[in-house]
Amino acid sequence: MLPAMEFLIKDEKVFSGGLSCRGCGWSLLVRHLSSILGENTVYVVPASCFSIIAGPYPLNEIKGTIVHTIFAAAPATATGIRHTLDRQGRKDTNVVILAGDGGTFDIGFQALSGAASRGENLIYLVNNNGAYMNTGIQTSSATPYGAVTTTNPNSNFKKKFPKDLMGIIAAHNIPYAATASLAFMEDYRAKIKKAKEMEGFRLLMVDGPCPPGHKVEPANSIQVARLAVESNLYPLFEVEYQNYKVNYRPTKQLPATECMKLQGRFKHLFKEENKHLLEETQKVTDYNWRRLLALEKLSVEFVL
Amino acid sequence: MNNTETSTKKKYPRHTEKVMKGNFAAAEAAKICKAGFIPAYPITPQTTIVEELAEKVGSGEMDAAYVNMDSEHSVFAAAMGSALAGERVFTATSGQGLFYAHEVLHAIAHFRLPMVVCNVGRPSIPWNIWSDQSDSLSQRDTGWIQFYGESSQEVLDTIIQSYILSEKLEIPVFVVLDAFYQSHTSENVWIPDQDLVNEFLPPKQLKGTEINPDKPIAVGGLVQPEHYGKFNYDFWIDINRVENLTNQIGEDFYQKFGRKYQAVEAININKDTKIILVTISSITTTAKGVIQHHPEVGILKIRLFHPFPKNSILEALKDVANDTLLVAIERNFMGDKVGAMMQELREAFYGERYFKMIDVFTGQGGKDVPPITIEKIIYKAKNNPEDVIWIDME
Amino acid sequence: MIEIRGHARGGQGMVTAFDILAKIFSKLGDYQVQSFPAFGVERTGAPIQAFLRIAKGEILNRSNVYHPHLVVVFDETLIDLVPVFDGLRKGGTVLLNTEKSINHFKKNADSIFTVPATKISIEKGLGSKSLPIVNASMIGAIMRLIDGDMEIAQKVISENVPAKPKANSEASVLAFENVVGFGESELKTKEFLDAHSAEKIDYNIEELFRKQKDKTEYKNPIWSQPMSLNKTGNWRVLTPEYDKKTAPCSSNCPAGTDVREFIKLAGEGKFHEAVEIIYEHNPFPAVCGRVCPHFCEQACNRSDFDESVNIGGIERFLGDKFSPEKPIAKPITKLQKIAVIGGGPAGLTAALRLRENGYNVTVFEALEKAGGMMRTGIPSFRLPNNALDSEIKRIEDAGVEILLNNKTKISEIEKDFDAIIVSVGSHIGSKMNIENEKFVVDGIKFLYDFKIKNDRNNVNKDDKVAIIGGGNTAIDVARTSLRLGAIPTIYYRRTENEMPAIAHEVEEALAEGIKIEFLTTPTGLQKNDDLLNLKMIKMELGEPDESGRRKPIVVDGSDYQLQVNHVIAAIGQKSDMFVFDNQQIKAKQGKIEFSSSKPIFSAGDMAWGGTVTEAIGSGNKVAAEVHAFLQKIPYQQETSVPNVVVPVDLNFTYYLKTPRIHNQITHKTDFTENFDEVVQGLSDEQILAEGSRCLHCGDCFSCGNCFNYCPDAAIHVDDNGRLRIDYDYCKGCGICVQECPCSAMTFEMKEAENE
Repeated sequence: MLPAMEFLIKDEKVFSGGLSCRGCGWSLLVRHLSSILGENTVYVVPASCFSIIAGPYPLNEIKGTIVHTIFAAAPATATGIRHTLDRQGRKDTNVVILAGDGGTFDIGFQALSGAASRGENLIYLVNNNGAYMNTGIQTSSATPYGAVTTTNPNSNFKKKFPKDLMGIIAAHNIPYAATASLAFMEDYRAKIKKAKEMEGFRLLMVDGPCPPGHKVEPANSIQVARLAVESNLYPLFEVEYQNYKVNYRPTKQLPATECMKLQGRFKHLFKEENKHLLEETQKVTDYNWRRLLALEKLSVEFVL
Repeated sequence: MNNTETSTKKKYPRHTEKVMKGNFAAAEAAKICKAGFIPAYPITPQTTIVEELAEKVGSGEMDAAYVNMDSEHSVFAAAMGSALAGERVFTATSGQGLFYAHEVLHAIAHFRLPMVVCNVGRPSIPWNIWSDQSDSLSQRDTGWIQFYGESSQEVLDTIIQSYILSEKLEIPVFVVLDAFYQSHTSENVWIPDQDLVNEFLPPKQLKGTEINPDKPIAVGGLVQPEHYGKFNYDFWIDINRVENLTNQIGEDFYQKFGRKYQAVEAININKDTKIILVTISSITTTAKGVIQHHPEVGILKIRLFHPFPKNSILEALKDVANDTLLVAIERNFMGDKVGAMMQELREAFYGERYFKMIDVFTGQGGKDVPPITIEKIIYKAKNNPEDVIWIDME
Repeated sequence: MIEIRGHARGGQGMVTAFDILAKIFSKLGDYQVQSFPAFGVERTGAPIQAFLRIAKGEILNRSNVYHPHLVVVFDETLIDLVPVFDGLRKGGTVLLNTEKSINHFKKNADSIFTVPATKISIEKGLGSKSLPIVNASMIGAIMRLIDGDMEIAQKVISENVPAKPKANSEASVLAFENVVGFGESELKTKEFLDAHSAEKIDYNIEELFRKQKDKTEYKNPIWSQPMSLNKTGNWRVLTPEYDKKTAPCSSNCPAGTDVREFIKLAGEGKFHEAVEIIYEHNPFPAVCGRVCPHFCEQACNRSDFDESVNIGGIERFLGDKFSPEKPIAKPITKLQKIAVIGGGPAGLTAALRLRENGYNVTVFEALEKAGGMMRTGIPSFRLPNNALDSEIKRIEDAGVEILLNNKTKISEIEKDFDAIIVSVGSHIGSKMNIENEKFVVDGIKFLYDFKIKNDRNNVNKDDKVAIIGGGNTAIDVARTSLRLGAIPTIYYRRTENEMPAIAHEVEEALAEGIKIEFLTTPTGLQKNDDLLNLKMIKMELGEPDESGRRKPIVVDGSDYQLQVNHVIAAIGQKSDMFVFDNQQIKAKQGKIEFSSSKPIFSAGDMAWGGTVTEAIGSGNKVAAEVHAFLQKIPYQQETSVPNVVVPVDLNFTYYLKTPRIHNQITHKTDFTENFDEVVQGLSDEQILAEGSRCLHCGDCFSCGNCFNYCPDAAIHVDDNGRLRIDYDYCKGCGICVQECPCSAMTFEMKEAENE
């Protein structure tokens, strides 16, 4: 069989020349997102790498409207835009938030929860690369266990597991939330299409490669993302009104170390004295996967 | 002057007279100005403004999108988004809410977005919900224009005029009320008929500079050093136009509605005036009553506080003698040696006139400023004019 | 004061370098120092600047350096991108990281020095290949210019670099030693600072004010110009390129067939085009599809994923069903006449090539039918005559004259020809050198006798037949004996692993019920009435011999005897030297030394190889050599090692595991007198499915991965449907290369521009 791929983008909606690092997840995920959403889209961007990537004055990377806004309240800005466009008869316009994990898990969390609770008709895309990369790799509450950042340097690496944003957002009882990976491009694109066709608050969390932040060779960006899924470090699933559905089950689950060993931010974990930490990571990864499967099962058994 | 109450109440054609609280006058103003987007979040003592707007929108009396936000920060962020898309936006806040939104205030002003927001002044922690202007005055440097209303009527009228000013200059405007002394005080208010307002302030038209999905652009992105100063230069040009435009809009408003407002109001200021009380907001009214017994005392009411109306002040004081004593009355504390009013006055007179000035802190955290307090201030000014005086500290 | 300005790309370490330089200068003397960077907002790879001031007294300037005494360029590609030489003081110095000659840069400044810092950093393993960190090298080079003390410099570098202090320190020394320039630097710190105090720069301020605009247009700033105005191609260090590499199937085919290409065409249903590709190198697809050991399949990268592609099955299908119609003989355009002695695969292939090239070619065949070992040595249940006949017929149709029943030798025909190719094969079985060998039948002869003359060599039903050997002949003899009703057993002195026979032939023989005894060899033979007593001895494997196979060693005292009806030896073959007038000539591929009035060449089994396909390849080569010889043009064998794709180059993620479609094999319990072909051909549908299992190693098949995964939208499909990398924007991340399933791209340090 041939690779199950084709030229997925028929009509490019980004311009080349963006200010992203080599192998950047932001650029790639926006490229595919914009190709599906089309030009009738307003992107609301809080402080993040994408604020920079999208273009210094007077350049614009996307063939679409971008509103750059404050770090903590992108969903609120989007709310204002959404309601006003609706009153102008522009219900067909997509209003999409493009935020990083810092802008979502941490400083933007309240505004996210507010917009989700109100059921605002918005798409929220979080590029979860697991740290504040724009400011130079600082720990966020999405930073994985064991990762080194500039605010968790050396042996003071992060010793907490990231918070379960998907669980929290699912608890808002929104119509659609899903995880996606750039290594599973067709799944990602299908989820964008699905989200686009729905109404209400929709959230997509993408595992965004960040070569400088993850200390990965840029060429390995996609490979690392793929291994994250194949090792269940980053499972692909969707949640509709708290009903979980797993989208991909690795044929043979790889050890988490297969993904982690390619990332310099985990280098120290591979020292002999930290072996137990790797084991801990594997344990929690397996637990999370089993829990996800249990939630999926529960979702079938309990129907409103 | 006489102090007897006489039935000289003026009547205004194409208006309806109602007795209403300041907060309700503000809400009524938002309605007749046809604000289309109201992001809301409660905070005492502003809450009744957004409650009344919820009522108006909910009952169908007012056509607007009303959204219960998660915080003042989000309220202003939503207001920003809506204004970017071209909507006429209104909301209200107070004290901590305003402080919390501080970040967004800069963004809105520097995005050059028109909007009018009511702030009902109250101070910060330790908790206090009463009248104080420290909150709004501390936002002086965010780029917003600030008006301080003396009465419910003035608040309502100022909101109408502010939309004209704001949309013309693309600079946001705060209209500030005193907590309780205005916000919760019922008084006579003449509400202009909708068609009269429409003639003065037509429903908002898009200018073409709004975001428009048909003509994709980005706004608010990164600006490199070579450009940033040029953006500010343009802002500076327009800030310089505020004072004159305020007076001109005030004149136009007078022609249409019969009530006259300018950047400043001079009361009993002439060549014989010995003492001038410089006031803002509701204290002005009480002071007006007190100076009826002190013909040598005048009042300079600052209605447009930011940008500070230097020319209007010089004009108002052009006939007074150089030895006139100016008394800045501060219902604020900026953590500085003098209050906000004093700082602005000094700047306004620098190189133009020299007056002996004293600074009076009073009414802090809602402490009532009754006539006796004004009397004490006048007494101090006459007898022992220290540079800075705290009143009611006994 | 000395003012230095550096230009680099983010990530090359310049900011750290300037910081370290400041520390070094402060130790070189009683100097005040000041260093700071100027960043843009771009990321790794984008141009940045850094500044350094050194003075004897207080430094009264905190602005950027606009008028440097020394400009240091960390990356030579910046020269075309950034005005690096702007404001350089009169007589100022420039230091460039480059391997180019100084002459390239002469026009830019009076005093230019270069250092190969990138090369040094890569040597010392500093940074990655995609982004070498050159800061330590640049510090070393600057030390040379400013007459710095390398001991101090090394110490400060070691203490201040974030990693690899030793390698950085060594790199700085290497760089110090490798600075190239005209004459001596005039920037020697002490002397310079003694001679120069702060110099005043004259500005034309009135002129600057005249340029100021009184009106601006920034009230409603919009970001509306395309990002593509910003070209990011110059961030690139490593460059991806599309590159059609060699597939292992093709490189491993002795005949030289472009296997990948014909499999691709077959998978697309383009059967006629596919067979034409085979014909370019191999006139015997129907034969090779059946009897070749499939070197292509042995090398198939798909074996590392699931199973190799059934290339033989596809080749056979194409040869059987889609061989071209009767070819039209090409006109004879060359004067020289060529003789080929021996009409086997090598001789016929060589004849065909030379005939196609316009030579008059005559093939002398000893037997009544051409085909050589294909004809005589391969039983018809493996290779039916009609498959062979039609392929030989096409060679004749192409104008090759074949003289049958014409056993000849060089001396007889040399006068009539300008060149002679000898390709008589190896048709004489080797002797075992045991007693009574006269009772032993030669396996090659046995096969020939039965296939050509229907002579069964007295092998009858239920006869026990001992076959000695482990090659294809042994297997074929055994399977033929089986079909004659006998009970064959193969005796081989090594184990199954060492058997030279084609593996699937061995499997088929075992499946048919043939026994193979390993690690045993005959030592003697005695005739006992109608029976033969065969003395045997057991063997064990010792150390590997020169062929790499483990050498069998006799196990003392393990003698035993067999009673059989026939002993057939298949232990090797040699050539008939009749062609050389029975002189023992050691044949080798190509032109050989043999006293003759005409040039003599040899090819095929007698020269090298041992399989049909190798013989075909040998024929192709000898034809080329003869042509070159006759035309007096140099003949060069391919010596360059092609860039063959190996499994680690591939990204198997993008392939689905799909079982190989095997040719059906007839299984029976009794093969007596059944000489039908055992292996069946594939259907059209099976060919399409099997063809699409090809991984396309090294050959872009437009899967779209590079396009889909390019973060910078720098790959597009041109009007002709071809993929193109836009080097104006490609930052050189390498994702396209990494995610290319079939390794049809390279990623190297080279310059590339758009066509």
